[in-house]
Amino acid sequence: MTERVLSLSDPMIVVDGLRRSIRNGTRTVDILKGIDFSVPRGQFAAIMGSSGSGKSTLLGLLAGLDTPTAGNVHLNGTAISYLPEDKLAQVRGKTIGFVFQSYQLIPTLTALENVLLPHELNSDAKDGKAGLARARELMESVGLGDRMDHYPVQLSGGEQQRVALARAFILRPPIVLADEPTGNLDTTNGAHVLELLLNLNKKEGTTLVLVTHDPVLASYADRRIVLRDGVVLSDEMNRDAEAAGHAAVIAGGGSR
Amino acid sequence: MAGLSYASAVRIAAREMRSSRGKFFFVVLSVAIGVAALTGVRGFSASFRGTLLMRARSILAGDLSARMFQQPTPEQEKALAEIEASGVKMTSVTELLSMASAPKTMDPLLVSLKAVDPADYPFYGMVDLAPAGTLRDVLGPETVVVADDLLVRLKLKVGDSLKIGSKEFRIASVVTNEPDRLSGNFAAGPRVLISRAGLEASGLLAPGSHAGQRYLFQVPKPTGGAPISDSAVADLKDRLVKMLPEAQVTDYRETNPALTQGLDRATSLLSLMSLVALVLGAVGVAMAMRAHLQQRLDTIAIMKSLGARSGQIMKIYLMQTLLLGLLGGVLGVALGVGVQLAFPILLAKLIDVDTELHVQWRTVITGLGAGVLTTLLFTLPPLLDIRGVRPILILRRAVEDNDDPFVTAIFKKLRKNVAQIGAALLILAGLAAIATTLSDSATVGKVFSLGLVAVLLVLLGASAVVLGGLKFFLNRTRLSLPSSLRHGLANLYRPGNPSAALLAALGMGVMQIMTVYLVQQSVVSDLHISSAPNLPNVFLVDITNDEIEGIKVLLKGQGSVTAAPELLPVVSSRIMALDGVPASELKLKNFPKRMLQSISLTWFDGPPLGTTVIKGKWWTAEQAANAGKAPLVVVNDRTAERLGAKVGSTIEFSAQDTKFVATVVGISKVDGQHAFSRAEFILPRASLAGLPVVWYGGVHADPNRVGELQRALYQAFPTVTVINVAQALETVRAVVIQITYVIQFLAAFSIFAGIVILASSVAGTRYRRIREVVVLKTLGATRARIATVFSIEFAVLGLVAGVVGIGFANVIAKVLLTRLTAVYHFQWGWNAVALLGTAGLTVATGWLASHRILGQKPLEVLREE
Repeated sequence: MTERVLSLSDPMIVVDGLRRSIRNGTRTVDILKGIDFSVPRGQFAAIMGSSGSGKSTLLGLLAGLDTPTAGNVHLNGTAISYLPEDKLAQVRGKTIGFVFQSYQLIPTLTALENVLLPHELNSDAKDGKAGLARARELMESVGLGDRMDHYPVQLSGGEQQRVALARAFILRPPIVLADEPTGNLDTTNGAHVLELLLNLNKKEGTTLVLVTHDPVLASYADRRIVLRDGVVLSDEMNRDAEAAGHAAVIAGGGSR
Repeated sequence: MAGLSYASAVRIAAREMRSSRGKFFFVVLSVAIGVAALTGVRGFSASFRGTLLMRARSILAGDLSARMFQQPTPEQEKALAEIEASGVKMTSVTELLSMASAPKTMDPLLVSLKAVDPADYPFYGMVDLAPAGTLRDVLGPETVVVADDLLVRLKLKVGDSLKIGSKEFRIASVVTNEPDRLSGNFAAGPRVLISRAGLEASGLLAPGSHAGQRYLFQVPKPTGGAPISDSAVADLKDRLVKMLPEAQVTDYRETNPALTQGLDRATSLLSLMSLVALVLGAVGVAMAMRAHLQQRLDTIAIMKSLGARSGQIMKIYLMQTLLLGLLGGVLGVALGVGVQLAFPILLAKLIDVDTELHVQWRTVITGLGAGVLTTLLFTLPPLLDIRGVRPILILRRAVEDNDDPFVTAIFKKLRKNVAQIGAALLILAGLAAIATTLSDSATVGKVFSLGLVAVLLVLLGASAVVLGGLKFFLNRTRLSLPSSLRHGLANLYRPGNPSAALLAALGMGVMQIMTVYLVQQSVVSDLHISSAPNLPNVFLVDITNDEIEGIKVLLKGQGSVTAAPELLPVVSSRIMALDGVPASELKLKNFPKRMLQSISLTWFDGPPLGTTVIKGKWWTAEQAANAGKAPLVVVNDRTAERLGAKVGSTIEFSAQDTKFVATVVGISKVDGQHAFSRAEFILPRASLAGLPVVWYGGVHADPNRVGELQRALYQAFPTVTVINVAQALETVRAVVIQITYVIQFLAAFSIFAGIVILASSVAGTRYRRIREVVVLKTLGATRARIATVFSIEFAVLGLVAGVVGIGFANVIAKVLLTRLTAVYHFQWGWNAVALLGTAGLTVATGWLASHRILGQKPLEVLREE
């Protein structure tokens, strides 16, 4: 755990005593029972755990989609957990790119429009042209240059997830959060998406937090944080990450 | 952060609409139908009403008339001159009885002389001449225009001379109809129209002559072709009433009771129908937008996770709403204009009304504004719900249970819903404002808004009770019920089901449709009575007691007479005192004192046709038998008001040399349609025994054969005066019949539009069912089974909404009809039909709307999602 001290010199994400309980009827269920860690700028961290370990709840709190029962999350130096909803929305827009397991594209917008949406919601207007150019460029870079005007239903799962990737990166967010991004995809498509995610991450210099229960996927991360029953079970740097290298992914050997 | 520009919001909103046109079809359709009904009904009724009012004006020949009973004082003349100076046109009409004679034979004849200024008279309508011509061209200082019967009686022809007073005039033409025949004196003798200059020259206008004087007024027309406003006329009327306290001031709506009533009711009903159209459209919009936003919950959650603030998302959907409202509005206005243009064509066979066919911009703008505004108002609550959508939805479906203690929970809920409650108030205020602006009738606007609020509250209450009751019932009986029934009922209270909203929409819709139907039906049946084809249109004056039997026989033998004659005995009398106060000291309202000198008393055994006692009671047989000693009287309500007489008052009459005191036992109201309506004081026969009587009669004659009747009467009874108002009454009758046609037609149109809108509301909920159907199918449910489940659900909704809606419709109809002094009858049959119809239609539309879904393969739907 010594790395953690070192990484605190330039933390992008700081999780501080995070707790989350929900009331279910008369019972109170503690989903997160006090989580602490921090992620330095540019790191690729995987949060692992079996289903019910609290990893999705943790991701929701990291993204400011939910409010903790206690504790706080700092993103890029700002404590976000208790901000009002609209401020949170602003933080989400400026700081975080999201990739979901089930893509979450807006069905009524075309692929390109989906990618462009965060730009339209968050930028100071006027630079619409620049946004459009960037959206096209990202669509090209995920290999969907010829599918820009398709609606989500007209795209395969892998294609939809690539659109979601492009959307996550459009505003050059310092942090990208990914929730089982390959969970709904077959091996080949999953590998392709992961490759694109890692490439983009590298190119844009983003801090990446990936939630998964898949050890293979996690093996590409710089660091693995394992949750069980709402507490951090282990948190260690992945010595093999560089060695295993993205080469393996690119070769299509990795994943699932 | 600059946030989302309006341009971007519009762009995103438009993109969203483009991809799911089908879903927006219902929203646009609802707005369009609502606006179309509004524009069509309103536009057409405005021009129709305009035409009617023109006809009403022609019956008075002006906007207003002031009947004078004495010469105006110098101050009054000065005030009248001021009114003229302000742009109001004024002309005077003098009517008097005079003798006329043919210079050759010197046979004298009593004629009813009417002096007018042919340059101004009539302000409205036409004097019909034979041969055709205009009064202005034929009537000069040296000429007169006479009625046909004068020529018959004096054996003259057009071009001959007629001596009136000291001067001879040339007969220039024959008058067949004057517009204001009903408003003038029903004087004896054939009509002679003379110019004012001619009257001066005749020397007849000696001081003290019994000339009846009327001033006619025409309010200046506003520039730009707009119709003369009712308020301008009302203002002038107020001024005249104050200025000429002794005069009888009448406006164009008061010329004939049938017409007045017809106009009043038409105005109220047309207002009601445009309001109904508007609210129904709004209901359709609200339902469609609600369904739409409900489906957008996921999209909204995604947008939020992408950094959109609630405000931005609301802006996007607000823009979408505006676009939809505008689209529907434009479409609706186009449709409405089409409808407005189509009405006269459709109705052309029934009415010869040449409604001005120009489309009024005001109507178009009102329609568009109302469409957009109601759309906005009714989408506010679902729009505000956007704030409550939590982005965590995309990660975790489960919704947390509310963990607050009960009271805190309520407060929290209230606080959370402050905006919604505010929105609800805003909607009501907005609707009330729209209703007041649109409604030409304040009563209708008020009753309607109140009814709407009440029905909404009751419906929400009813839905809570019914749904709660169902839940309770099902929890107890769960397993003993057939499963499709159980499922269908359980569907109603399942979280996320729009039962409450649908119930509110259906209930409101049914209420409005039913209200229109009930009010329309009662008003139309009333109008039918007042436009009945056998009301008296020829009046007989001065029939002596000796002649009455002969007259009866003659009338019976006349083919032109189509209804039993109404004959009424008249005893001339004077009023000496009221409640002991001598006539000279009485304070009278708009009633000259000298009129107390010529009072007509009538005897009847029971209330005559068209007369009802509204206060007190008609006398009993016992009282009638005793009436020789204790005279009783029933007084007409208008006369009673002018005199200040009440039930229990005593009136001292003097007839011939007999004086007697009669006690007022009742106040009566007349429909103005019968000869009997002229009776102001009705007494038992015994009270008037021995007094000299003349008879007054009214018969209905075929308007085309009145001449025949007149000649027969003249030959047998030359002293009986015959007054022919057949032409004038035909005009009135035609107008009233047109009103009934138009009312029925527009009511049918509103009801049809309402049903379409409600059906599309029900159909709009179908998208919600897709997932449900898929799940049921996946679990092995057959289509028939799913259809049964839906039918039960829809039938319950239809029945509950029907009961509440129809109940309220009856209440509102009753209140409105009472205000309109029309009769309300509760009709079991129609109400039952309406209830079953509501349930049946709800099930049928629910079925039709779900048909496609039921036929779909589960996977297609899942992929579409």
